[in-house]
Amino acid sequence: MKNLALENLSVTELVNHFTTLALEQYQAELRDDIASYNRLYDKIVLIRDALKERPGDQRRALVPLLGHPNPQVRLKAALYTLAVEPKAARQILQDISDRNEYPQAAYARETLAAIERGDSRLT
Amino acid sequence: MNRLDLEFQRLVALRAFVAGMLELKWLRDATRFEIAMRRHEWAIKAGFNPDQPRVPKGNSDGGKWSGDGNSSGGPDGGDSDSPEGQGGRPAGSRDRMIIVKEIARRIVQTGETVVTIARMSSWLQTYSAQINTCNDPPKSLDELQRAASTSAPGYDIHHIVEQTQAERDGFSREIIDGPDNLVRVPRLKHQEINGWYQSKNDEFGGMTPREYLNGRSWKSAGPLDWKRSKSTGF
Repeated sequence: MKNLALENLSVTELVNHFTTLALEQYQAELRDDIASYNRLYDKIVLIRDALKERPGDQRRALVPLLGHPNPQVRLKAALYTLAVEPKAARQILQDISDRNEYPQAAYARETLAAIERGDSRLT
Repeated sequence: MNRLDLEFQRLVALRAFVAGMLELKWLRDATRFEIAMRRHEWAIKAGFNPDQPRVPKGNSDGGKWSGDGNSSGGPDGGDSDSPEGQGGRPAGSRDRMIIVKEIARRIVQTGETVVTIARMSSWLQTYSAQINTCNDPPKSLDELQRAASTSAPGYDIHHIVEQTQAERDGFSREIIDGPDNLVRVPRLKHQEINGWYQSKNDEFGGMTPREYLNGRSWKSAGPLDWKRSKSTGF
């Protein structure tokens, strides 16, 4: 990410980049490569923040990823659209949980429980 | 366009290419898995018998069915398409574990039985306990604690409050390894929860749960671990 100035990327390019990183995270988790998983986490957060800073809060551009076939892409998109599209995002978290798509289901349940308690950091 | 802009455009194009490749790779892997599952299903329907004798390794037709079993050899009746030959045991343990994890997760999602899955390839049968226990129904804390007194294939003993943290907080080994702090959990779920402790997490403000618990008391760690355990499904 150091080589890429995110502010120069279009919203579409940011979303594509987000997808790539989430897919890499999926692979890293399968390989038990936690160090890579965490590095990718940081990069995804930078993209989320870049989208948020765009005029009109462009995190909404992640909404189409809620239908992505990969559960990690869906999970990350749902977590980061909770603040802008809460109903759709919560539904996806619930779907991931109901379908027992581990380990994403555990993260989804964690966030849904935090929302219920009113102390989620993502809403 | 200056040199910096050109370099930037090159990187953007490269990233887009990598994104496309990764997506294709994921779809390819998912498709392969689906195909393997379908072939396996056909094999079961065709009467595949994992105990049927096969030609020993070293012969030109080594590995093929020797023909004295009661199976037709595969879904299309041809020996070359035996279920054993479809799987192919990966050489690396990491690659094998990726397949084991994928299959275990698939079972949790679909409810397919481990016997069915284990027949897919003989090397997978050595992991059947791990795959099978991953599908255990949720248990109470008391049940998991009581089970910790005996070991069993496919299970690990998990410390509810992590050992390093407990030692740092000055607790004795007697308490750390005591029955209140030990639970017997499915091995693959145990690996998941260990991974979770080390992974950055949005609900902890980007910290890992281990970082979050750093400096907090035993009273905080126990309930947190239990909540996660329930989310993980055991």
